[in-house]
Amino acid sequence: MSDAQQVDLSTRVAGIDLANPVLLASGTCGYGEELEPFLRLAEVGGIITKTITPEPRSGNRPPRIVETPSGMLNAIGLQNPGLEGFVEHKWPFLSTLETKVIVNIAAPTVEQHGEMTARIDALGGVAGIEVNISCPNIREGGVLFGCNPRASADVISTVRRHTKLPVIAKLTPNVTDITEIARSVVDAGADAVSLINTLVGMAVDIEARRPILGNVTGGLSGPAIKPVALAMLWKVRQAVDVPLLGLGGISSTQDALEFLITGASAIQVGTATFVKPGAAADIVAGLGDYCRKAGIARLDDLVGSLKS
Amino acid sequence: MEETTKDLEGVVFSHEEVADGFRFLQIRIDGHLPCARPGQFVQIRPSRTTTTPFLRMPLSVSHVDRVGSTFGVLYDVVGPKTRALSDMNEGDRIDCLGPLGNPFPDVPDDARPVLVGGGIGVPPLLHLGTHLRSTGMDPILIVGARTAGKHLPLELLSPASEHVRLATDDGSLGHHGFVTDLLAQALKEEDKPVVYTCGPHPMMAAVASATESADVRCYSSLEEYMACGFGVCVGCVVERRTQANSPYDQFTRVCVDGPVYDATEIVW
Repeated sequence: MSDAQQVDLSTRVAGIDLANPVLLASGTCGYGEELEPFLRLAEVGGIITKTITPEPRSGNRPPRIVETPSGMLNAIGLQNPGLEGFVEHKWPFLSTLETKVIVNIAAPTVEQHGEMTARIDALGGVAGIEVNISCPNIREGGVLFGCNPRASADVISTVRRHTKLPVIAKLTPNVTDITEIARSVVDAGADAVSLINTLVGMAVDIEARRPILGNVTGGLSGPAIKPVALAMLWKVRQAVDVPLLGLGGISSTQDALEFLITGASAIQVGTATFVKPGAAADIVAGLGDYCRKAGIARLDDLVGSLKS
Repeated sequence: MEETTKDLEGVVFSHEEVADGFRFLQIRIDGHLPCARPGQFVQIRPSRTTTTPFLRMPLSVSHVDRVGSTFGVLYDVVGPKTRALSDMNEGDRIDCLGPLGNPFPDVPDDARPVLVGGGIGVPPLLHLGTHLRSTGMDPILIVGARTAGKHLPLELLSPASEHVRLATDDGSLGHHGFVTDLLAQALKEEDKPVVYTCGPHPMMAAVASATESADVRCYSSLEEYMACGFGVCVGCVVERRTQANSPYDQFTRVCVDGPVYDATEIVW
């Protein structure tokens, strides 16, 4: 294939048509607006909003972040304006974007997931709903659902009943067997699965002899977790038959390709955006270059091409 | 003209130790660097590093050269990240995201700016003082350090003020005691002081308390652990003092809502 030839990066994931398979991960791109000076949002396949909850949340006491070898810990605690604050202040900007917007939600009870879903569905223009049953930094909801196959299924089936939009379950790696949770959410009606959320971690200030994070523990992200994420993706790929959205430490085109080859239909760039706000757009460009050099006309053909 | 923040690659132009552990790094930007205003900061990291250090370092801009495209930062070598930075040599390439954050607000014409810095919190005040002098104002600069060796040399301090007053905790240079002693004296002397401060948290808390008691306006430039520097990670928060309308507003992001705050806005 000559350099001049266009490579087809587009894909269709769980019924969502994406210009390319590179999404911005929830919690690392705010509600889009803050990134605009550095990244043309139309260049990425989609943006997944920071988690919204039924009511506004203040988040955890600082310090909330600390750098660790090849990554970082965060314990933000889902600071967000709440569902109505989102609708009033964040959605007007998001609704104008020329990229797909997936709204990420979490709630303290199963029922509230349903109520939030109905409200978001009614906005019109939302591409899909990602359900955060995997946040490690809050006392109710989040990972408490995501660690238990039955509770995970209850949340997803409730969301499913309230919308025809694609429903994506975001899974935690902090479980004994992630494939068990993956199967239960797919059985409950999830159209796709995102994996992985952060790994629970901790750092200590040896002078003060205290945990560095206000929340004591936090979620580990960044390149440090990439091999863990890939292994979990590989396991889940064999366990369920829905599209997978891979994330966990993806910082480069090489990383993105590893996830796509292992079986992710799309990938999410998260912590890398903190370091380089244009990282996701660089990866999109890099995927095109890779395909041109390798003579691949459609990037989608690469998905799941891992040889045994 | 409002200039936007940019993510650009620069080159180390000069890099030297200027006090015990403190280094002065000047960076030349290849493209056009939007000019930082006093109080704004940059997020920097040696180019082409991948995982160590991982996150960028937020550093206040201490110097700008409006003719050429160079700017300066000062930092203290305290951990692995600043050690990696200290290894950089002239000509090395460095990623620069900036300018970020909100600058110090303008000083009222009839006010006397009193700049109070401690330790490695002095750099934004050098930028501010130099800027104020260029507009015809005559700021006082009070600087505290643990010991004489930890004070920046006068040639770096004096462009920011003709009235530099030094203090050391151990009495090895200038006033034996804290900057708050010198601040109290300045507040007595001046009719309409406005205070600008940056330094270690306990020092800024003491300055905030002293200015509030004296009913003097005080602007503080805060430093917090930071991941992104542009508002999306919500990691670098401090608590607001005023009752928030929504729990969402209880904490404020130092990177985009600050780093400069009216000292009475913050829980110290």
